[in-house]
Amino acid sequence: MENLLEIQNVCLTYHSPASETEALKELNLSIKEGEFISIVGPSGCGKTTILSLIAGILKPTSGNIFIRGEKIEKPGFHTGYMFQRDNLFEWLNIWKNVTLGLNFKKRNNEENKSYAKELIEKYGLGEFIRHYPTELSGGMRQRVALIRTLCLKPDLLLLDEPFSALDYQTRLNVQDDVSLVIKKEKKTAILVTHDISEAIAMSSKIIVLTPRPATIKSIITLDFDPKLTPFERRKEKSFNTYFNKVWEELV
Amino acid sequence: MKKQKQNYSISHKKYLKSLLIKKVSIHISRILLLVLLLGAWELCASLNIIDPFITSSPSRIIKQISFLVQDGVLFHHSWVTLYETLLAFAISTIAGTLIALVLYIIPAVRKVLEPYLIILNSLPKIALGPLIIVWMGTGTKAIVMMGILICIIITTISMLNGYISVPKEKILLMKTMGASGFQILTRLVVPASFSDFISVLKINVGMSWVGVVMGEYLTSKAGLGYLIVYGGQVFKLDLVMSAIVVLCILAGLMYGLVALLEMYINKKRT
Ligand SMILES: Nc1ncnc2c1ncn2[C@@H]1O[C@H](COP(=O)(O)OP(=O)(O)O)[C@@H](O)[C@H]1O
Ligand SMILES: [Mg+2]
Repeated sequence: MENLLEIQNVCLTYHSPASETEALKELNLSIKEGEFISIVGPSGCGKTTILSLIAGILKPTSGNIFIRGEKIEKPGFHTGYMFQRDNLFEWLNIWKNVTLGLNFKKRNNEENKSYAKELIEKYGLGEFIRHYPTELSGGMRQRVALIRTLCLKPDLLLLDEPFSALDYQTRLNVQDDVSLVIKKEKKTAILVTHDISEAIAMSSKIIVLTPRPATIKSIITLDFDPKLTPFERRKEKSFNTYFNKVWEELV
Repeated sequence: MKKQKQNYSISHKKYLKSLLIKKVSIHISRILLLVLLLGAWELCASLNIIDPFITSSPSRIIKQISFLVQDGVLFHHSWVTLYETLLAFAISTIAGTLIALVLYIIPAVRKVLEPYLIILNSLPKIALGPLIIVWMGTGTKAIVMMGILICIIITTISMLNGYISVPKEKILLMKTMGASGFQILTRLVVPASFSDFISVLKINVGMSWVGVVMGEYLTSKAGLGYLIVYGGQVFKLDLVMSAIVVLCILAGLMYGLVALLEMYINKKRT
């Protein structure tokens, strides 16, 4: 099967008056359609940088990135980005927040709008369509942010620690929600997280990075029954084994 | 958010009642303070403890105002000042907001102009009075210019700070969704700076009156500032006080209108 994402020999160096920071060095990575990849690594090693490069909001110093064979040079149609904060616009109601992205790149057609409406209904936000973000709980807000991303029909979802601002219990619930949505919508996703158990609960493959400049230290393939939800995975015997494995890779 | 009728517990009812009592008593105290001050002023003046010729008195002010009203003079002078103020207010608010937008869009220009803005902001604008008169003549234009000068710099600086403080992540989000620079501006930066705009409006209500009255002190043939200067020169303190009272009322009304606008728009947005 052809790779959805190809990262080839990508280097990235940040320049600032005080110093030069080599964030990525000779990074190579490929991801297949339908995979759910988690990236873990020491903080400041360059995880966000990788996502920014894939999204096209940052240009590699050298090397190339391809999605479906097309070289990424600027933000485009391919990726959907979710941040740590939901970044909902407080002055727009939920419907307007969800369909925000449809206003750009000539995506504002009936088909996309009805897809947005369908997602909202399907994932339990139908009655809040005219409400404002301040009236929603943290978990619901993050779900709105996910639907806002999904209704642009991205090939690849980029999730940058999207649950770390939530309290523990909400986080477990939203992990289940998001995982279900991504599975149902048959999306490919890259999740950046510093939470090892989150990575094990949600993904099909974990990529462990070295400290900065980031290169791939190891790749751990997870083998769970595909029917299990993230929460159910946490109760599996193998969960602890995986945890220790990732932990050892990190230290 | 919608308020729902609920069956509150007795303790909650008590709490609500105590809140109400506090609120009412603050209002009553405010009115009482005004009545007390005016009463003391009037009493002292009528008992000649203070010289009403110099300090005027509430009753003399009321008499003066009703005299001015009957004459049609008050309306004329108030209108002149109000007109100048509204003009200065509108021009400086709109121009300052737009200048700030340009500075925001072009960081290089912003960096170059930064020190100039800071100096202009700390410069006492009244110092430019003679220049304005030489350049713009002694008419309405010069007075409005004074009002604009006082408001426009602070408007520019406040709005620029508002635009700059829009969260970086929201801008990135817009970029990842494929928004153009113009769309980021109209859909994010401008609406996100709305509350800064309202506070600029509130500041400018006060500042535009300051600027215009100052302009009228410098050069004028009519207006409340003119009445104040004239009254001072011919020692008609009743006239000075009357003009000040009318100024207070007009400025208060204008502030109230802005506050109403804010409430109205906030309601529409939520
Ligand atoms: N805009 C920038 N300018 C300079 N250095 C940066 C910039 N962004 C990130 N860095 C540096 O690059 C490294 C990697 O950053 P990042 O990708 O955000 O790490 P992570 O997401 O893994 O915590 C860090 O050391 C960070 O300080
Ligand atoms: Mg990060």
